[in-house]
Amino acid sequence: MVEEKKKRKNIVKDISFRVVKATLKAILVYLIYFLLAPVLAPLFGLIPGIMESIEAFVAVYIALMLLSDLTERTIFQYFFSTARALFFMAYLLFSMGNGVISTSYENFSLTVNLTLFYTIAMTLSLLGFASTILQAINFMSERAEATSGLQPPQKA
Amino acid sequence: MNVPIRALGIATSIFWILLIAFIALSAYSFKDLNFDLGEPQFTTAPDGQLLFSLPLHIYNRGYCSLKEFNLSTVFSDDEGAEISRANTFVPVIPRGENVTIFHNVTLSMDSVLENDAEQYLFNDNNLTASVTAGLTFAELLPTQISTNFTFPWGAPFYNFALGQPSYGRFDLTHSAVSVPMSFENHAAFDLAGDIRVELFDSGGSLLGESQTQFYVPQHSSYDGNLEFHVPLSAASVSAAHNGHFNVYFSTPLFEYGPLVIPYG
Repeated sequence: MVEEKKKRKNIVKDISFRVVKATLKAILVYLIYFLLAPVLAPLFGLIPGIMESIEAFVAVYIALMLLSDLTERTIFQYFFSTARALFFMAYLLFSMGNGVISTSYENFSLTVNLTLFYTIAMTLSLLGFASTILQAINFMSERAEATSGLQPPQKA
Repeated sequence: MNVPIRALGIATSIFWILLIAFIALSAYSFKDLNFDLGEPQFTTAPDGQLLFSLPLHIYNRGYCSLKEFNLSTVFSDDEGAEISRANTFVPVIPRGENVTIFHNVTLSMDSVLENDAEQYLFNDNNLTASVTAGLTFAELLPTQISTNFTFPWGAPFYNFALGQPSYGRFDLTHSAVSVPMSFENHAAFDLAGDIRVELFDSGGSLLGESQTQFYVPQHSSYDGNLEFHVPLSAASVSAAHNGHFNVYFSTPLFEYGPLVIPYG
């Protein structure tokens, strides 16, 4: 009875810790966006609609990050992390196309070649995606080991 | 397996932070980049070409240097035919420095007058200038800005006119014919040269010839008289009451003629 009460108390403590951690991480990411947005505004201001699109992206990204943190130490954590990595790559792909952004203002036409930035960002996203897949495989293998009672061989 | 995965995650995060910081820094630097156009200047080269010099002041107060700054202009006439093309290239504009570049465009009058000389010699017109400026910002972001604008072309012989000839006696064999001549130099350069006029009667016979030198500063007008000495005979005087002038222009920049102007 005492043990069950203690276990329930631990679950509540664990969930509250996850909520606090997820909230703090979400606030931190939003804070970074909040601080960077005015700095990037002069550049992005030249491209109509990009700021609204970035806002939507940040909202979805934070939501997926929150869900991933809340479902920590379950397989769903990796689902949401993978979804987040895929969403990031899809956003980059659709928003930047071939990496060359062109915009016109009155009689002026501005073209910015972001191919190099795009390549680096895509590579890092792929690394993030690979990392979540590896984490999921690791999680599943650890869980399989735990349920089967097999333990990894100990070094002498 | 946990350690390598965690190391991969940490490394990815560090690279992300560096990339975002770099982009933020570049965008912030872009804000502190200023371009200012100076007063364009027209000069005439000894080889009969027109030099258009445009000073461009670049104030790079950002954190990143600018590389491969390239400014290119293409002048074309109202039919789209290319008249002149010029490029200015600056390899590096270091951060925190102000640089003044002179973009020089050579306009050959022959090219301007090639298609429709009268349109550009006697009427104000517009040339189309296509300007493209490109640079590599922060070593990573090639950027290009382009625009088209019309460039006013002032006619050097705007409103060129020869008035009605007035006749007077010169000597026993010749009469003096005086013809008023006027024009305005709307061009962006001073104009000097010769104008030669041939006077023809209604039958197409050459009655006389006159030549005058002129110097007309930019945006000023010229008023003068041409003197012809026509042989004094009843036939020639009566025939000289109508006919036409053939006008030939000769300046260090261009030669043009004949411009046919009827009179009478």
